[in-house]
Amino acid sequence: MKTKILMAMALCSGLYLVRNLYIILLQLPDEAAQGAIYRIMYFHVPGWITSFSAYFLAAVASLYYLVKRDSRADEFAVALTEVGTIFTLLGLGTGMVWARIIWGVWWVWDPRLTWAFICFLIYAGYLMLRKTIDEPGQRARIAAVVSLFAFISVVITYKSIDWWRTQHPGAVLSFRTGGEQRIDPGMEHMLFQNWFALTAFAAVIMFLRLGQERMQRELDALRRYTHNL
Amino acid sequence: MDERNFQYMFYGFAVAWFLLAAYLLTLVARESKLRKEVDTLKRMLEERENKG
Amino acid sequence: MRHVLTIAWKDLRSELRTKESINAAAAFSMVILVLFSFVLDISGEAREFGGGLLWLVFAFAGALVLNRSFAREQSNDCLEALVASPLPGWALFLGKALANFALLAIVELVALPVFGILFNAEWLRFPGWIALICALATWGMTVIGTMFSALTVNLRLRELMLPVLVYPMLIPVLMAAMQLTSALLSGAGIAADDWVWVKLLIGFDIIFTSLSLALIDVILVN
Repeated sequence: MKTKILMAMALCSGLYLVRNLYIILLQLPDEAAQGAIYRIMYFHVPGWITSFSAYFLAAVASLYYLVKRDSRADEFAVALTEVGTIFTLLGLGTGMVWARIIWGVWWVWDPRLTWAFICFLIYAGYLMLRKTIDEPGQRARIAAVVSLFAFISVVITYKSIDWWRTQHPGAVLSFRTGGEQRIDPGMEHMLFQNWFALTAFAAVIMFLRLGQERMQRELDALRRYTHNL
Repeated sequence: MDERNFQYMFYGFAVAWFLLAAYLLTLVARESKLRKEVDTLKRMLEERENKG
Repeated sequence: MRHVLTIAWKDLRSELRTKESINAAAAFSMVILVLFSFVLDISGEAREFGGGLLWLVFAFAGALVLNRSFAREQSNDCLEALVASPLPGWALFLGKALANFALLAIVELVALPVFGILFNAEWLRFPGWIALICALATWGMTVIGTMFSALTVNLRLRELMLPVLVYPMLIPVLMAAMQLTSALLSGAGIAADDWVWVKLLIGFDIIFTSLSLALIDVILVN
């Protein structure tokens, strides 16, 4: 039953993404200064928001684990962090392609980019760390603490465009500029729609990963049981 | 549409879709592998119990 | 507070008796300084890269001291004894952090003059600023290093995981320290633009210290 709901959700988000792609590519006009390449924004910005939301929820789940010692919270934390890392890669990748055209290089050591890369390194370290610890309780405890520390880098990355003068474009979305319209309303509307689609897709893969984490634990428990026979 | 940038726009979209698709595929692969392992272990346990 | 000083004094004494990690760290910092002289063009003054080089040296050499902070207690189950003692976890952490801070400060005091001579850098132009930045950044490094030393102390692959986790975590502190030190070494002093880094450094110290103190009990009590 659960898998059927998940399949339906996956199908819906997939169709929604394709529908968005059609509108982004064929119905929205080029941006005056950048031409066609600006359309990368429709994946880049929502991808980052999705990634950071996942990290935020992972930090919440980690904190919940530390307070309640509920292993389900730890399962959520892994699944969320892994999905967040995939979306970080998506954000970095799409950003590089955009930078190649607009700045002429794939990468600059701009504060925003540097912090984003640090985020990736830290969360990759978190995922590696989990693999090296076998005892579930110890793993959950240590990973939860690392997750809370790691989230600081997410906050800095998010605020870096306000704290430093960066080459990376500043805030454009109306919820960050305090209502000031810096982007065409039609484009912003589409951006939010693709955000919704990507987040729905992220939720699907997160639940898939969550199911696997549970299965993995069941497997580990079975292995331990057979080993002790 | 701007011809010059179009190619790189395509690369950007390809990166996004490819990443998500690749992750989804690894998840599916891992799922079936896990299922198989759980099944083998359970069968082993049953056999052992039947013998004992 | 008395407990904190007891722990700090215990760690300092046991380190200064053997001088194992402090000698290794000081020697290692010299090695890195020499290695960097091959990489960089040092015909002029160490203006541009001076700050970066200096903090890389401190980070690599400091890691030698910090990594051993909790691992040292593993022999003879000292860590279990410390955790089981009525000492609160935060006092244990703060004491160890203070001892590490003192050890790192010693290494830095050795490395700074050598750096100044080898790379022709006038690091004494703003003594107050240099001292302040070194103190703030070293405290940040110490807190993170001590915390992650505690985190990984019981891990199978400790030596592997520690650098992978610690260095990215240290980047914010190191980046701020590098920027500020470079500004000082170039003779420009702290400009209005650099204040964001000073604030960042202070903010980091506060956030990391409070987070560590809040979470250390979770780590130690097994």
